[in-house]
Amino acid sequence: MSTTTINDAAVQKQLKQGRVKKTIFSIIRHLILALLAFIWLVPIAWLLLTSFSTDKGINFTRFVPEGFTLWNYISIMTAPDSVAQFPRWFMNTLVVACFNCVISTCFVLMVAYAISCCRFKGRRLLQNLSVTVNLFPGVLAMIAVYFVLKYMNLTNSYAGLIMVYAGSSGLGYLICKGFFDTVPVSLREAAKLDGASEARIFFQIVIPMSRPILVYTIINSFLIPWTDFVMAKMILNSGISTDWTVAIGLYNMLQKALINSYFSRFCAGGVLVAIPISILFVIMQKFYVEGITSGAAKG
Amino acid sequence: MPGEKNFFQTFGEAFVKGDIFTKVSLLVWGLGYIGHGQLMKALLVTLVEGLGLYFLAFYGAPNLAKFGTLGTVKMEMVFDVTTMKNVVNNYDNSFEILLMSMISFVVIAALIAAAMMVVTSNYQLQKIRAAGKKTNNFLQDINVYLNEKFYVTLLTLPVLGVVVFTIVPLFILIAVAFTNYDQQHMPPNALFTWVGLTNFFTLFGGGGMTSTFGYSFAKVLTWTLVWAFFATFTTFFGGILLAMFINDNKTKCPKFWRTLFMVTIAVPQFVTLLLVRNFFSNNGIFNTMMANAGVTDFLHNIGLLDKGLSYIPFLTQPGWAMFTIIMINIWIGVPYQMLISTGVLMNIPADMIEAARIDGANPVQMFFRIKLPYLLSVQGPSLVTDFVRNVNNFNVIYLLTQDVFVTNNQQLAQSNAKEIDLLVTWLFRLTQEYYNYKMAAVLGIMVFIVCAVFTVVCFHFINKKEATFS
Repeated sequence: MSTTTINDAAVQKQLKQGRVKKTIFSIIRHLILALLAFIWLVPIAWLLLTSFSTDKGINFTRFVPEGFTLWNYISIMTAPDSVAQFPRWFMNTLVVACFNCVISTCFVLMVAYAISCCRFKGRRLLQNLSVTVNLFPGVLAMIAVYFVLKYMNLTNSYAGLIMVYAGSSGLGYLICKGFFDTVPVSLREAAKLDGASEARIFFQIVIPMSRPILVYTIINSFLIPWTDFVMAKMILNSGISTDWTVAIGLYNMLQKALINSYFSRFCAGGVLVAIPISILFVIMQKFYVEGITSGAAKG
Repeated sequence: MPGEKNFFQTFGEAFVKGDIFTKVSLLVWGLGYIGHGQLMKALLVTLVEGLGLYFLAFYGAPNLAKFGTLGTVKMEMVFDVTTMKNVVNNYDNSFEILLMSMISFVVIAALIAAAMMVVTSNYQLQKIRAAGKKTNNFLQDINVYLNEKFYVTLLTLPVLGVVVFTIVPLFILIAVAFTNYDQQHMPPNALFTWVGLTNFFTLFGGGGMTSTFGYSFAKVLTWTLVWAFFATFTTFFGGILLAMFINDNKTKCPKFWRTLFMVTIAVPQFVTLLLVRNFFSNNGIFNTMMANAGVTDFLHNIGLLDKGLSYIPFLTQPGWAMFTIIMINIWIGVPYQMLISTGVLMNIPADMIEAARIDGANPVQMFFRIKLPYLLSVQGPSLVTDFVRNVNNFNVIYLLTQDVFVTNNQQLAQSNAKEIDLLVTWLFRLTQEYYNYKMAAVLGIMVFIVCAVFTVVCFHFINKKEATFS
């Protein structure tokens, strides 16, 4: 009887020690995470804080600004000047993004379906070619594209920019193809036996079943003009600030001569662009992972 | 595929065994279809053929004729006696000649392929009629393109887009690598012409005593590979570790932590990169903090920092800049990788983990024997594409260092390169600031070779491994 109680006490003690050890480890674990999260969030915090700063330029000595104001946001949205034309940029980018979204999505879905579900001569050849073409640096083709557009008088026009974004978007079909591969073949065959045409199978069976990848493709192509910098800078090179997209406009605000009067407004603009993008990204996030993993697994 | 004929064999057979209509259709596409009773189709294909030939005759031929020299007549002002004014002569534009010739080559290739297909299809029609069956009428033909040949309908426009906006430009740039197209030879004011392999010799150290391209190329290529290696692997493993750390069931509120890290993805890259570049600038906020915290002095004392510098040159001195860029890239890339790894890790079959646990595997063994191999098998291919993408990672380098980093290395400066340049940023600068298209094109080809060799070797390896796995 007494030995068991002693044993019990020992076990209790051990258990308690274990629990203490566990809590300590748990605290350390969460502290490490918190530290990492802190590092990851410092620049974002700086962006947010500076966007509310009363200083117009960069404050080199203080992380938290001396005074807070909404002036940067109000100014950038309602009082465009020769440098900052944020509302115009926003509209320009929106127009380009919408067009690119429609064209790119169609192209990607079309190529993905053809490669995934149709069997034809030259299918492998086409796939290999697309892989090879993707190995050339995008910047290289871009330079020649610029000349072609210049030759057709399409530089400094949104039509040109949309064509550049959407033109070769068919090459980015891989993730979508990986998803289509997971649509059961039996389903398509059943539809075929019932007399559905290949086109009908595409529109009425495969597309409705592929909502995740559809959303992913749409949002992805919509986001390209918002985040792209190089193409836009190359094609919209007239130097007229009302023609620009958000990316070039904000980049221009950070020129040496302008940075000291525009840095806070740059931050405000950055936050404003980030809002719609983050909303879309939250929607897309689930599909993003699904698309990438299923696409990668299937190759 | 034994027994199956390839495209050329089918064409050969069709042409040899075809009747007169089939044979004639090689030259005038419509005639064959008229002979085989398909009027509408005859009209359409002849129209297409006509357009192609019209282009070749009026735009292609004049330029193709000058393709060998890329033009001989320089732009000059000549005095026109009839109007008594100085006018520009009828000059050759080398670039236009090159561009139109390349398009013509593509058109010619397309026409030849199409003509062969027309003959083959006519032979089919001929056979159908010989067997006494009816050929398709026009509506039935259209229906075929929604059914058996639906892929043609789907692929036409996207492929056309890729040809126009990627393949033709690539051909042009590859051709430019063999010309002397640079600032001294800029159309329309000047002509450029073929120079053979001269530019390649320049890149590999030739080109006389003044050329430093060979030296710069070796340096930039090394850094490009080092960068791509570190950028790929640090973010890959960083992302995996973070994902496992957050998804571990000992971590509370994994969703909350994940969201915190994902905030950085939501802000567009150009905003964060430009912001971070100012964060790390020489007299920027981070340097102020470092000085206040005494880190700057500490670095002085251990000799990592020149005594003359009152700041840490995060983005202005080669060694520091390389370090900072890789660190910033980790900051940008790890959340993405974490997101993907989370998804992949959740897909690991639960029984596999369970079995390992019952067998007494500790967490380390579990990671190296199960999770990592699984992740690698799923993400191996995307790791290869990530490496290629990092070789071409223009944004990070350009946005972080453009206008900020100035090289002190005379030899690099002479060929317009910088220590922290990737091949693509160097290429971009050569075209945008120095109009040195010939060397940029050569660099582009080099980038392709690097990426292609890497990809082929890696996939060879991956396929081999997969074969042994299953």
